[in-house]
Amino acid sequence: MRRFFGTPVVDYLPAFVLFIIAVIYLVTGYGYTPQARAFPVTVGWAAIVLVLLDITARTHTAAGETLTRWFNPAALPKNDEEGPHYARAKEIAAVLWAAGFAALIVLGGFLVAVPVYVFASMRLRGKRPLWFCLVIGAAATLFIWALFTQLLQIELYPGMLFPEV
Amino acid sequence: MFAAGEEHRQKGICLMLEMWLGGLQGLLHLDVLGFVFLGMVIGLVFGAIPGLGGTTAIALLMPLTYGLEPFTALALAGGVMGAVPMGGSITSILLNTPGTAPNAATCLDGHPLAQQGKAGLAIGAAGSANAIGAIIGTVSVLAVLPIASDLVLMFGPPEFFLMGLFALAIVATATRGKMLRGLVVGALGLMIAFVGFNDVAGGERFTYGIEYLWDGIHLVPALIGLFAVAEMIHLMVKGGSVAQSGSPVKITKMTAGLLEVFKHMPTVIRGSLIGTIVGAIPGLGGTVVAFLSYSVTAQASKNPESFGKGNIQGVIAPEAAICAHDCSALIPTLTFGIPAGAEMAVFMGLLIIHGMQPGPLMLRDHQVEIYGLIWALTASCVLASFVGLLFVKPLAKITQLDSGILVPLVLSTAFAGSFAIDMAIENVIVTAVFGCLGYLMMRYDYPRLMIVVALVLGANTERNFHQSMLMGEGGWSIFLNRPISVGLMIAIAAVLCLPIFRGVFNQLRVRKLAAERSGP
Repeated sequence: MRRFFGTPVVDYLPAFVLFIIAVIYLVTGYGYTPQARAFPVTVGWAAIVLVLLDITARTHTAAGETLTRWFNPAALPKNDEEGPHYARAKEIAAVLWAAGFAALIVLGGFLVAVPVYVFASMRLRGKRPLWFCLVIGAAATLFIWALFTQLLQIELYPGMLFPEV
Repeated sequence: MFAAGEEHRQKGICLMLEMWLGGLQGLLHLDVLGFVFLGMVIGLVFGAIPGLGGTTAIALLMPLTYGLEPFTALALAGGVMGAVPMGGSITSILLNTPGTAPNAATCLDGHPLAQQGKAGLAIGAAGSANAIGAIIGTVSVLAVLPIASDLVLMFGPPEFFLMGLFALAIVATATRGKMLRGLVVGALGLMIAFVGFNDVAGGERFTYGIEYLWDGIHLVPALIGLFAVAEMIHLMVKGGSVAQSGSPVKITKMTAGLLEVFKHMPTVIRGSLIGTIVGAIPGLGGTVVAFLSYSVTAQASKNPESFGKGNIQGVIAPEAAICAHDCSALIPTLTFGIPAGAEMAVFMGLLIIHGMQPGPLMLRDHQVEIYGLIWALTASCVLASFVGLLFVKPLAKITQLDSGILVPLVLSTAFAGSFAIDMAIENVIVTAVFGCLGYLMMRYDYPRLMIVVALVLGANTERNFHQSMLMGEGGWSIFLNRPISVGLMIAIAAVLCLPIFRGVFNQLRVRKLAAERSGP
């Protein structure tokens, strides 16, 4: 694994992404009136300084180790020494399952998305029997419908594809 | 003249006691008690369902109270508000899914305890901490209410601004071993909090043309994402069940949990006092109170490294503070008409539809109703702590469900709850985005609690900053001319320097030990 100042390059990634976000935020912030931008821009600059300190603290240099000792007295463990590591493909799949469900709700509404997702998730991920997935899918939909539509009188979102339903 | 003053004071005390008892007497009717119980059950259920909570419950119940007497309506509302924290703590501990925003602090140690098969212990401790917190909160409120106006008036925008910074600083130091990352995440949270319409300068900021963002990032959908969805993504990756041990759920420890609180009385008292004092400050709210109590307890502990890994004090401290806060949040709401949070804002609507205008006059004209409400809230907190325990056994089995079954069910409820807050489909997208963000924060070891506190405090802190600047005619001297401000600034500096002092102290101690060992 490639290293930079003694630390794997991948460990700098989150701080680097936050740095880019802070820069975009500052650029946008300077487009507003002085009064409107005063506080956000101050926070944006503070974020940049903190991210730079975070990046420095991640390095295995004298400055990095001093920062770690000062601000992380409980001795911050490095990522490559931490607990269980999961396969990246598994992580991406899990995030996609959650994001896909949200997308399905937006497109098809709750009464379509919930049974489809519960069924698919249990069948494909949970490897449960077909009848079990069907029953739980139907029960989950019935619970959501009874709780929100009937009990709380909240009309569930019908979905972009079925706006008239 | 002195004797006349003493006589006046004694008369005042007698009148106050009369009102306390009047409120209690009003509550001790079967029909009123029935409504308190009904409110308690509703509060437990709404508290346990992520995204609903007390605000939604009171908003939904409001039209149904039209036909009730004002006293009964307030008793019902008190029943709801008192039980919501207990409902929320059950799901926080079992599923790492805070039923309400303040319960997010309970997740930090409650869920690790559930993972160790000690769900019963955590829930029992949460229950009794709730009950004791409510009692301490009530006693404090009953004592403070008559002089509350003077106390709250001592705080102006500069003090509120510095209180916001103080809360951020103290929570950052509590993320031990990760203070720098905590501050980075706090800055990110503040940046997110500034999204939306800016009521100081007018116009919108950082919305990038998205109309939904004019109202800012809604807190509850973001919290559901950060905790419920992130945890479910983690469970999908990890596989298995929430309880890592796989051993049967040890509900037998619930009594031990109830008693555990008595072993940690300083934690309960400290949490309750934080809840009472900070809860009375408008704009800070239950979430800040819970995290502040958690952070202070972690700081004060002899074993701070155990926090976040299943330390029972990490459950007791926020739970005691939440219930005490619920009582003291009534102070600014009733005395000034300034809601201490969203729940209190909705509750003010309920007061108004029953002909009670919150403000100084309410303390004079509706004392019996006010004290009745306080008693109802306390009774509900105490009752819910024990009634809630009856539901724990079936609920605790949830921690043993396989992720293949649990994940789709929790995600369905979480997304539906998020949508139900204000029936905006964008809430679902916010929940999903914050879910992914929350998972990445877990994965890369960034503390999630800082982003919550920053989201809660961001808008108010900015508003108070601008108001302070206006008061000081653009100069910073406004912060130096007020004793409470100066005290708060010293406190912020001390909190931020604490890790450095601790580091130096530890180094000196290590050197001293080494010298002793190598000595003659």
